Amino acid sequence: MQKELDLFFMKEPTQKTKVFEILFLMFLLLSFGLNGFCQQSEKVKIGVLVNFANQPIVLHDSNYVLKDGSFVKFEILKFYLSNLQLLLNNKVIYAEPNSYHLIDCAVLSSQNIFLGLSQNIAFDAVKFNLGIDSLTNVSGAMGGNLDPVNGMYWTWQSGYINAKIEGSCLLSPEEKKEFEFHLGGYQNPFNPLQTIELNTTSSNFNIALSLDAFFANIDLAKQKNIMLPSIDAVTLSKRLSKCFSIQ
Amino acid sequence: MKRYTTIAFCMLFFAFVGKQNLFVVPKNFPPPVYDFKNNPLSVHKIFLGRTLFYDPILSTNNTISCESCHSPFSAFTHIDHALSHGINDSIGTRNSPALMNLAWQKSFMWDGAIHNLDMQALAPISHPAEMGSNMKEVVEKLNTSPKYRQLFYQAYKDSVASGENTLKAISQFMLTLVSANSKYDQVMRNEVSFTEQEFNGYLLFKKNCASCHTEPLFTNGNFENNGLPIDTQLQDLGRMRITGMAQDSLKFKVPSLRNIAYSFPYMHDGRFKKLTDVLNHYSKGIVASKTLLPQLNGNFTLNSNEKVDLISFLLTLSEKEFVFNPKFQYPK
Repeated sequence: MQKELDLFFMKEPTQKTKVFEILFLMFLLLSFGLNGFCQQSEKVKIGVLVNFANQPIVLHDSNYVLKDGSFVKFEILKFYLSNLQLLLNNKVIYAEPNSYHLIDCAVLSSQNIFLGLSQNIAFDAVKFNLGIDSLTNVSGAMGGNLDPVNGMYWTWQSGYINAKIEGSCLLSPEEKKEFEFHLGGYQNPFNPLQTIELNTTSSNFNIALSLDAFFANIDLAKQKNIMLPSIDAVTLSKRLSKCFSIQ
Repeated sequence: MKRYTTIAFCMLFFAFVGKQNLFVVPKNFPPPVYDFKNNPLSVHKIFLGRTLFYDPILSTNNTISCESCHSPFSAFTHIDHALSHGINDSIGTRNSPALMNLAWQKSFMWDGAIHNLDMQALAPISHPAEMGSNMKEVVEKLNTSPKYRQLFYQAYKDSVASGENTLKAISQFMLTLVSANSKYDQVMRNEVSFTEQEFNGYLLFKKNCASCHTEPLFTNGNFENNGLPIDTQLQDLGRMRITGMAQDSLKFKVPSLRNIAYSFPYMHDGRFKKLTDVLNHYSKGIVASKTLLPQLNGNFTLNSNEKVDLISFLLTLSEKEFVFNPKFQYPK
């Protein structure tokens, strides 16, 4: 062994070892490259789609029709999916580390989540939180998706906003016909955090949020604003959590 | 070889000593609440935070800095202003609190709305009557400033400012604002002694005030209703705004009494200009209500001599060194 090492590193390289070295390096580079390429294509991918009656949501312009026939338009749709886990027979087989995803309908790249594991893993369910857990809420300033520059942290009091749904509808009694739902907080009795579990065996699947189901139970003429932790925020968060499905 | 080992040891020693000096827990203080592991102090980060603290760049029209309402010479409060004011001469609804010993504070604001020092600066930055900006705007401005790009690089080895790094740097400076060398502290360390009047005041303090203004921080960090008649214009219900519970109506955070001689006016709305006004309130101004602190229910009776003694004790909580510390002042 020592002799071989000597040959490799210490001794003046002969023509033979030089060729061997070059071949070896090429092999290394190639295998790393291939490996990287394969890993990229084989990672478990989760797409997050936000729909209204099976139509993908386009912010600002498109109108969507509520149950009673009135139109609704969306300006801001942002929410946190956190603590992503894959399950098999009710056992957690993968928990994504540092798992905080800010899904923003205005940012296409935010709607694709690549898990750090290859597709040849078997699972039958995916589990995640809608929002940010209370421990993270009290852990001080954080970066990346949790950075307060994202506008998902309340300023007048501490706590993350788990979901922001803003838009306009003629039903709203507000002057500009707006509605604003900021669902957040972390302290009991108004902790709105929801855990969602959906069945899927595909390693390339979409999680869909169907907002028509969410708005089906809201009377925008009466309820058009939620801006603080409250029982209403908890109720709407529960309702929102029921609108997720696998597609 | 030996020489190198010695040099390495010396360097390690100085690195250790240097680090230690950035934040020292005073002997008579409990362990701090702030989690330093998440935001380890460094000279450059503290300096960045100090620069931000004194820079009106944090406000939307570049007119108001933290220092505008938290001046070092008044123990970091807004001297002579009952209610603090922000951009465009907007008046707020509360008296800006004095800043000191923040590493030991469990919650911030008069109603405890903020639970972590790192997140505290977000509130004044975003409030329309204070700085009227938002974190995104602040970070964008910082990133176009060559001065800040350099300061951020020195602090974080990354010239790009983020919300996280900006807030943590401001925290770092605020954490260094430790006041623990008043005459009171020196007495507790047996270096000097109280005068007879101060000592008598200390006994009165322990009997009448210490259950809320607990030593050595001179606050227990809780929220209490101290019997102030409600200001009918402000209609400020205090802690109830945060918890939504009736039992928290009219409760405000118990403030520290340290440096109280510098931090007038007093109470959440700055209604009392002098310490005698405060003592007069406790002895004959208490308004009874459901949430009134039980200890204040007619138990606080002091004659005029006792009031003078108590005030002479309260003045021993002043630390001139803190108020005039050049390390806390405008960075040059």
